[in-house]
Amino acid sequence: MSIYSTAVNKPISTLMIFTAILVLGIASYLQLPVDQYPKMDPPYITVMAAYPGANASDIEENVTKILEDQLNSVDELKEMTSTSYDNLSVVSLEFEWEVNLDEASNDVRDAVDKAMQDLPDDMDRPTIMKINTSSMPILIYAVTAKESYPGLDKIIDDKLITRLNRVDGLASAVLSGGPERVVYVDLDPNKLDAYNLTLEQIGSKIQAENMDVASGNVKMGLMDYSLRVEGEFEESDQIKDIVLGTMNNRTIYLHDVATVRDTVKDITLEQTINRRDGGVLMITKQTDANAVEVAEQAKKEIELAKKELPSDIQFQIISDNSRFIIQSVDNLQETLLYALLFVVIVVFLFLGRWRATFIIALTIPISLIVAFIYLFATGESLNMISLSSLSIAIGMVVDDAIVVLENVTKHIDRGSRPREAAKYGTNEVWLSVIVTTLVTVAVFFPLTLVTGMTGIIFKQLGWIVCITIITSTITAISLTPMLCSQLLKLQDKTKLKKHSFYAMSSRALDKLDAFYERLINWVLHHKTVVICSMFGLFGVSVFMARYIQTDFMPMNDQSEMSAYAKMQSGQRVEETKRVALAIDSVIRARIPEINLINLSYGTEEEASTASLMNTTGSNILNMRIRTVEREERDRSVFEIADQMRAIFKEFPEIVEFTVSTGSMGFASNTADIEVIGHDFATTTAVAQRISHEASKFPAVGDIKISRDDDKMELQVVLDQDKLAQHALTTAEIGQYMRNRVYGFRNTKFKEDGEEYDIIVRLDEKYRSSITDVENILITDGHGQKVRLKELGHIREYYSPPTIERKNKQRLLTVSLSPAAGVALGEVAGIAQNIIDNMEDVPQDVTFYIGGSYEDQQESFGSLIMLLLLSLMLVYIVMAAQFESFKMPFIIMMAIPFAFTGVVLALLMTHTSLSVVAALGAVMLVGIVTKNGIVLIDFINLLRERGVPLYEAIAKACRSRLRPVLMTSLTTILGMVPMALSSGEGSETWKPMGIAVIGGMVFSTLITLIIVPAIYAATNKSGNRNKEKKLAKQYLFMEGVEEETLPAVTQ
Amino acid sequence: MKKAVFIAYNQALTERVDYILKQLNIKGFTQWPVVNGAGTFGGEPRMGTHTWPEMNSATLTVVEEEMVPLLLKYVQKLDEVNKENGIRAFVWDITSLY
Repeated sequence: MSIYSTAVNKPISTLMIFTAILVLGIASYLQLPVDQYPKMDPPYITVMAAYPGANASDIEENVTKILEDQLNSVDELKEMTSTSYDNLSVVSLEFEWEVNLDEASNDVRDAVDKAMQDLPDDMDRPTIMKINTSSMPILIYAVTAKESYPGLDKIIDDKLITRLNRVDGLASAVLSGGPERVVYVDLDPNKLDAYNLTLEQIGSKIQAENMDVASGNVKMGLMDYSLRVEGEFEESDQIKDIVLGTMNNRTIYLHDVATVRDTVKDITLEQTINRRDGGVLMITKQTDANAVEVAEQAKKEIELAKKELPSDIQFQIISDNSRFIIQSVDNLQETLLYALLFVVIVVFLFLGRWRATFIIALTIPISLIVAFIYLFATGESLNMISLSSLSIAIGMVVDDAIVVLENVTKHIDRGSRPREAAKYGTNEVWLSVIVTTLVTVAVFFPLTLVTGMTGIIFKQLGWIVCITIITSTITAISLTPMLCSQLLKLQDKTKLKKHSFYAMSSRALDKLDAFYERLINWVLHHKTVVICSMFGLFGVSVFMARYIQTDFMPMNDQSEMSAYAKMQSGQRVEETKRVALAIDSVIRARIPEINLINLSYGTEEEASTASLMNTTGSNILNMRIRTVEREERDRSVFEIADQMRAIFKEFPEIVEFTVSTGSMGFASNTADIEVIGHDFATTTAVAQRISHEASKFPAVGDIKISRDDDKMELQVVLDQDKLAQHALTTAEIGQYMRNRVYGFRNTKFKEDGEEYDIIVRLDEKYRSSITDVENILITDGHGQKVRLKELGHIREYYSPPTIERKNKQRLLTVSLSPAAGVALGEVAGIAQNIIDNMEDVPQDVTFYIGGSYEDQQESFGSLIMLLLLSLMLVYIVMAAQFESFKMPFIIMMAIPFAFTGVVLALLMTHTSLSVVAALGAVMLVGIVTKNGIVLIDFINLLRERGVPLYEAIAKACRSRLRPVLMTSLTTILGMVPMALSSGEGSETWKPMGIAVIGGMVFSTLITLIIVPAIYAATNKSGNRNKEKKLAKQYLFMEGVEEETLPAVTQ
Repeated sequence: MKKAVFIAYNQALTERVDYILKQLNIKGFTQWPVVNGAGTFGGEPRMGTHTWPEMNSATLTVVEEEMVPLLLKYVQKLDEVNKENGIRAFVWDITSLY
């Protein structure tokens, strides 16, 4: 028994099966997580090792290289990049896609353990985090405070960050810029000398005093007492009264040789939020976690924590990626609903009957819901790609049901009973319905085979469209006939009211049919002119295609901007602050749309995760800007960013700046030139030459060299002979100097359960010039005091502040971002051009163009492959269906015109060709051929029934006009809400809507004309030849006299 | 005297033909649910092919002679509902049976 007869015979079972599917689908839909894109961040693990007091080169030599050597052997490692900053080494490991991050992080931990033996002894254990340092925090809060400001760091750490760390999937939550409490013991070296004390003695003394020791038990009488010696400082004031010793019968207190300050740390990263003091709380997620879920959990925790926090601490959102994602997904769901509505309207206009429209419309939710089940089962999310795919599918899923319904209605109109009409009507068309579905699947299935990052997008689209289309076909041959048999009724034609909607729509459509038949008759008699002019048109569009601009992913307006400005290297932080405030005032005065400005300048002494997100330095200003909501302003953030750039240019203090509008690392829109080479000077020089060349092109917006200008450093060059005389080693000198300048920190001051560093070091005035440093006293191996200058000299030199490496090779990148309105492809072209024309490139320097341009190239490359594969598969399916090599060609003639339509639509709307738009173009192959199949199939049928060529074409065209228009219009109107939407995230899918609509409108019109014309041109004598051929095969009939045959009665 | 009536008709009429037989109390029949065929005077061929996708059914029933006019009358009535479906009945003599 066939599926449709079973369905018609068992309407209740059928209904129940589909209800079950609906229920499952709705349940899956409700549980689907929301995300921006399908999971596309490759698995990343970052190893961060802090070694305070070391500069970038030391870090590279002593930390990064050692870590790299061990980490290099971790399984499934794809790429290893590292950056050595002052005080900090960061090694990022990118893994192969399939890797299990938990296993990988165990491997990484083992490798780090091995490396520990070779790392400097006084270094803390490196931290291992499952984050990609290039991805931005998902949530950034501005935390402002009044009275609580001095203790902000501890308060937030205790009350909030501990809570946040419990959130599943959260990689790190850090407060940057909050003040940090420390106890400084600033020593006067002259007094130390006078009292014959050393810094190390004082440090140890403080540690020795700051102790509680359990000293056993004392039994007295019946009782047992435990004995304790307690010395831990209860107040920081106690420290200054520590007795260091006696001299000439006088007690020496610590305050005699030092000043003790319980204060906030001197060197910090300063953050202001709308000019108020505060800190910035940054929350990052693990690479494999869902941004929206983590953000929602984190927000919940923050709300809970607020109750426990002092009331003057306030939170303001600077950046919230999850809000943007939720809104854009909501917008897309809204467009999906509009698409559904439009499709239903189109179906109603053509069918003119409510019941029929209802039957057709029902296939849409069922097909879409099966896609939700698929998404849920594979652990995917509701995201821009999956929802866009559904938008595409929505216009296509009704096609099969329409074909079935039309044929069933034909039988009912003949007077058949609905039950039989449903069974036999479906029986007649089910095979051809499946074949047309195969054609569509042939186009979309190859999408699931694409690999790489673009593959993730295409894979989802491919699967979703294939699944929905196949579901729609199954529905069309089971549920649709069942509903037809139950809902459609025998209609008495004479009883139809003249002014009913059905009558009116059929009259209008009849007129359209008649007009089209006349047009086809004209076309058939002017074939050559028509075909030639069509190809002329195609030629013109190929020529025009060169003016289309290309992009990787369109940038989204997220109401956020970030800016980075670098001033003269080595500039004091106070000067940076002055310029920052001046810029802040100008921006506030000139850009009314802004509602929050977060300035951050200066650098943290000890590197933390916060400093990974941004390059920091005393001469560097980072700004985060939030504008008012999109609906409340006329200008896009891109225009505002342009104005910001102009403002930055007015400040002569700023050496280099960038203003960026993207938030996720993925959306960064740059062409990166990687300059690979070992020698800093050569590669920096080459990079500067590239930057200089690039700045000549107006199309290039921001230029950023990843390696900052060399920073001046001081180097102690020791004389080995003298060291030997004084029985000292370089390591000892290093340790002495570190204690005196960086500070001796071996004990902590405890208060209210919190621990604060006690830093013992020389007072700042004794270590702030070269002479001061040279005069530092060191105790040598014989107990004699010796000044540093007697052991060696201090040399000034320049060194790079950061050292980047990729796969163990040093490199630096020059990032070129396109100016407003310029596509990335053009900038990449410029980059390539500059590299090609570079003269006298040093031998060991190599170039490589990467960045999002690389991804774009990879994507377009695979799209072209995809297009070819789709074309071949479509040809194969059609050739099999028509049992002809020729027919598929006639049908595929419409495809080039779809591209003409895409080109025209993109040019007319000034849209650049992004991956998403190109994807739309690839899909057209499937949608467009469908129209051709419908036409050719019917022409063939009439020809086989013996209708003369021209008459067959005209008749077939006339009768197939409605189905063609209907399927095209449902697809086009399904895309209209996408093309017209302007809400959050619409920049991503708008180009696809435009491309598909342009291609569909144009190709439908052309198909309706060129397919009949070409069919006529290629089939002229076909059937007469066939008859002669046939006669030759039946030779036994040759003897029969013509006259003896009876006349054929028609 | 018995007569054999061969009824050939569009598949879509199956249930109505069955109904006629039931109404006339005709119990015995032989049915071919799916057969090919074409009419001599107009009408579409029913070949189950791509060109002519529809199919016919056929029923052969042996009835008493006086039943034949009634049966033919109903068949004609069914045909007149809609000529496009198509139904024809042919009557043969039964010379002997066991």
